[in-house]
Amino acid sequence: MHFPTAPKMPHILTKYFGSIEYQEADVVRFPCGLPAFEQETEFVLLEPPSSAPMVFLQSLPQSSLCFLALSILSISPDYSLAVTAEDLQSLQLEPGRQPRIGDEVACLALIAVAENGRITANLLAPIVINRLNQRAVQAIRIDSSYSHQHQVAAPTEDVCS
Amino acid sequence: MLVIRRRAGESFLIDGNIEVEILEVGSTQVKLGIVAPKEISILRKEVHTTREQNRAASREISILELASLADKLHR
Repeated sequence: MHFPTAPKMPHILTKYFGSIEYQEADVVRFPCGLPAFEQETEFVLLEPPSSAPMVFLQSLPQSSLCFLALSILSISPDYSLAVTAEDLQSLQLEPGRQPRIGDEVACLALIAVAENGRITANLLAPIVINRLNQRAVQAIRIDSSYSHQHQVAAPTEDVCS
Repeated sequence: MLVIRRRAGESFLIDGNIEVEILEVGSTQVKLGIVAPKEISILRKEVHTTREQNRAASREISILELASLADKLHR
C-alpha cells in the first residue's frame, strides 16, 4: 500500500502553548531585532482563537521569550502610522509615504501586564509587519502623539472581604 | 531643569568631558553634535523608553493570569 507523504511541518517550542507546528510563512523577521532584544530576529506570530483578541509574538530560537500583543486598530481605531524613512527601508517598503494598515502592513502594539494587573500597550513603538515579505520592525515614533503606556485595562481592584 | 540659551555654533559641556554643540537650528528641529567618551551611552529618549517597555513586556506571565487577560480585554 502506498501512503502519500505529507510534508512534515516544523515545530516550535513556545512559552505558553508547549510545542506546536508552524509554517515557514508564519515566521516574522526583524532585521535589527527589537530594542533591548537586538539578537532576536525571528519570531512566529501565534493567534490562538482561545486567547483572542491577544496575539503572541514568540521568539523562534528562544522559547522563554514571548511578547503579548494586540492589533493596534483594536486599541486605537484611527491610529495613524509615523514610520521613519529608515524603518520603511528596513521593511522594504516604498519611501515617502506611510503604509496602509491592513492590506500592506499588519500593525501590533506590545502589551505589558504590571504586577497590579494594569495592562498597557506601547503605541509609541508599534510592531509593523510587511505582509508581502514578513519583514518587521518596531517602529519607534519620533513625535509624541501616542503613549508608550496607553492603558487598556485598569489595575485589578482589591477585593475587600 | 536647567535652561541654557545657545545659538548655532555654540556649545556647552557636561561634567567637563561631554560636549554638546548646536550645529543647526531649523523651524521645527535642532541638530546637535555630541562628543563624549566611548563608555557614555547616548540614546534618543524614545528608544530608551521602548527598551524599558520591551523588558517589562517580556515579563513572565502565569498561565492563570493569561487566561484572565483575554477575559479582561474582552470587557
